[in-house]
Amino acid sequence: MKSGSLGSYIARRLLQTIPVILGVVVVNFLLLQLAPGDLATVLAGEAGGAPKEYIDQLRARFGHDQPVYVQLFNYIKNLLVLDLGYSFRQSAPVLELLLKRLGPTLLLMGSTLVVSLGLGVLMGLLAALWVRTWKDHVISVAAVIVYATPLFWVGLMLVLVFSIWLDWFPTSGMENVVAFHEGWNRVVDIAHHLVLPTVTLSLFYLALYARLMRASMLEQRGLDYVTTARAKGQTDRKITTRHVFRNALLPVVTMAGVQTGGLLGGSVVVEAIFAWPGLGQLAYQSLFARDYNLLLGIFFMSAVLVVIVNLIVDVIYVFLDPRIRIG
Amino acid sequence: MNRRIVLALALATTALVSLPAIAQKSGGTLVQITQPEPPNLAPYISTSAPIGQVTAKVFDGLLEYGFDLKPKPSLAESFEVAPDGKAVTFKLRKDVKFHDGKPFTSEDVQFTIMEVLKKNHPRGIATFRDVTAVETPDAHTAIFRLAIPAPYILKALSSYESPMLPKHVYGQGDIKTHANANTPIGSGPFKFGEWRRGEFVRLDKNPSYWRAGLPYLDRIVVRFIADASTRTAVLEKGEAHVAGLGAVPYNDAKKLALRPNIEVSTKGTEMISPIVELLFNTKQAPFDNPKVRQAISYAVDRKFAIENVWFGFGKPAMGIISSNFQPSGLFAPGIDFTVADRIERANKLLDEAGFPRKADGTRFEFTHDITPYGEEWQRFGETVQQNLAQIGVKATLRYEDLPKWLKRTYTDYDFAITSNFLFNLADPVLGVHRGVHSDRIRPGTVFVNGSRWSSPETDALMDKAAVETNDATRGKLYAEFVQRVSEASPVAYVLEVQFPTVINKQFKNVIDTPLGIYGNFATVHRE
Repeated sequence: MKSGSLGSYIARRLLQTIPVILGVVVVNFLLLQLAPGDLATVLAGEAGGAPKEYIDQLRARFGHDQPVYVQLFNYIKNLLVLDLGYSFRQSAPVLELLLKRLGPTLLLMGSTLVVSLGLGVLMGLLAALWVRTWKDHVISVAAVIVYATPLFWVGLMLVLVFSIWLDWFPTSGMENVVAFHEGWNRVVDIAHHLVLPTVTLSLFYLALYARLMRASMLEQRGLDYVTTARAKGQTDRKITTRHVFRNALLPVVTMAGVQTGGLLGGSVVVEAIFAWPGLGQLAYQSLFARDYNLLLGIFFMSAVLVVIVNLIVDVIYVFLDPRIRIG
Repeated sequence: MNRRIVLALALATTALVSLPAIAQKSGGTLVQITQPEPPNLAPYISTSAPIGQVTAKVFDGLLEYGFDLKPKPSLAESFEVAPDGKAVTFKLRKDVKFHDGKPFTSEDVQFTIMEVLKKNHPRGIATFRDVTAVETPDAHTAIFRLAIPAPYILKALSSYESPMLPKHVYGQGDIKTHANANTPIGSGPFKFGEWRRGEFVRLDKNPSYWRAGLPYLDRIVVRFIADASTRTAVLEKGEAHVAGLGAVPYNDAKKLALRPNIEVSTKGTEMISPIVELLFNTKQAPFDNPKVRQAISYAVDRKFAIENVWFGFGKPAMGIISSNFQPSGLFAPGIDFTVADRIERANKLLDEAGFPRKADGTRFEFTHDITPYGEEWQRFGETVQQNLAQIGVKATLRYEDLPKWLKRTYTDYDFAITSNFLFNLADPVLGVHRGVHSDRIRPGTVFVNGSRWSSPETDALMDKAAVETNDATRGKLYAEFVQRVSEASPVAYVLEVQFPTVINKQFKNVIDTPLGIYGNFATVHRE
């Protein structure tokens, strides 16, 4: 495979995503119009009551007094030059708000992806190697229990045990707001704060990947190419690492790509419990405030994230299985 | 006596005498929890509850208030009301500087009141309606000219309600999308430092604050934590020190109060006076009948709701005006709906109103909407449901999100009974009149007269009380007003909430104004 073809493939895929993302934006925009109540009533409601002049004044400022198709047209026109609009509720440009939250979100998602994929694959692999022994049963049962436990409960229990009782980790937040560490101390401080949220969010996906990996390993081991390899005199160890493992990874990687969207959703709960300043919390707040500009911006950002992750997954396929051709 | 012992005693005495001074030594970071995160830090265009909890420390008001709601000097050293009540002259302090070093003058007062609050502040539009001009004869005198007497304005000049803005900053550009909306500049004891969205706002000590020696704290960090259980855990562990106004669930506040390092105060809502109520749609049968409304009001078990839903943080409401107005003489009770034979009375009223019990024991049914403010409101809805079942009225509960509920209640009037949460605020004119005055029946405007009930008599009483400058005379007008409203019962006033403020005991003097956590924290110090 030439690198040039990979480059043009990625470029072509990125071009294809533009209509997809535009479609997502239009559908979201129209769906949001269906929700009753608007930002002006929420702002007035938060004020504990306001005269009608104030509410009318707000609506005119937001452009909500114009027909829906005009609002949609304006929104898309601005979007094409990456102008995501202004959040009137937060008194700041949407793009600025999103970029500030992107870092913590990517940090939490990235660490979760690494932990859950790494440990999940390892657990699945071990369970498959030890299939139908007590060790396999322990791993499988543990995975089912973790998979079935609600995220918020796991989070709260971890806080209770590791933060309040044992005092090993801080309860919440991204860094110590009394000390305000700098330099390397700050990195260590953030890593310290990252542990509990990552563990909470990882557990569910870890269980998912472990089960998938185990099933996938077992399936691959029964296929003809394994028999062939064995007939050629390959050792069991080599068959497992060189052939079975790589092939078994494919469905897990696919699942990891698909789950990115879910990861964003799951992080709403974890971000709430651990006061993690990510996109999920912002989405939740802006939905209940009917802050549509901000909400559309978040949807746009999430769509872009999911598309990019899936593109990465497709590229990873090629490295895992040379038979898969791109283009 | 040995000389050395004398010396030691003298030293010990000195130490004892100087102890208060040592106790109030400067320094320390106070971590406050505010829930939810404020949408912006622009208290001059939004009164969203969390904003003031941050900005009241950054801005000053012309006045401050004692727990009796009497004004105390702040940016204004003194004020004088003209005999006809149509002018108020404020003498301003001469040593006040904004955080950017520029002095505070009467120009700033004129700009803040006339250009900002009167035009843009959600409540200021009504509060300052009758202010025709603010005159500035010199840099340190500001005269409010009024079309008619408006004594309640003197209750609305705290840093929370009417923050004084520097004209040279906020006068530049459009006030509604101002560049400093999220980076406020005021004259208060703390300067805005940094806002990391989703995490915290950092406020730093203002070293050139006009009150010499204050503030004591080096820094206030206001944290935002979306999950209620985590907020409780953070307070329990001492990672945060102050939380109030609903940031801690009532049952958790009760649990936290048992811990040795934590104190729970119910002071600091005297100028907010929140009242839990049931709002009737008086334009629609069966609640167009005052007897039915009174019956419902009798049937609601206020004591049960206080003990079991608000975990004791409240007391029964005696009418449309909160008992917090007792010290200022404006409080009077209406009909007592908590009498022992209230269920019999309710049954009798419903029989008289023409709703006898049917064969299955019920009289009628309706859908009861619930204020979408969280779990206690759902519990309260269930309590009301059970109370009404006792008198043969069947309620079906409906819970929606805030925008939808606001639209249903104040725009479409598509409800029968809904629970509601209205604040009496600093004066009945500001918080009470809006609920029952005929000129506040305004579709699309929230938290006004949603029952759409009014009467010429009560309108006249309110109009008189609004311009009356003598508190005793106002008190008499309000006494009659309260009685008439409770006879018509367009709203069942259920209970006065006393918000618990959870305070870590190493910090002292946290709640020292009737605005509680909306205070400026200048005198808060660490032990």
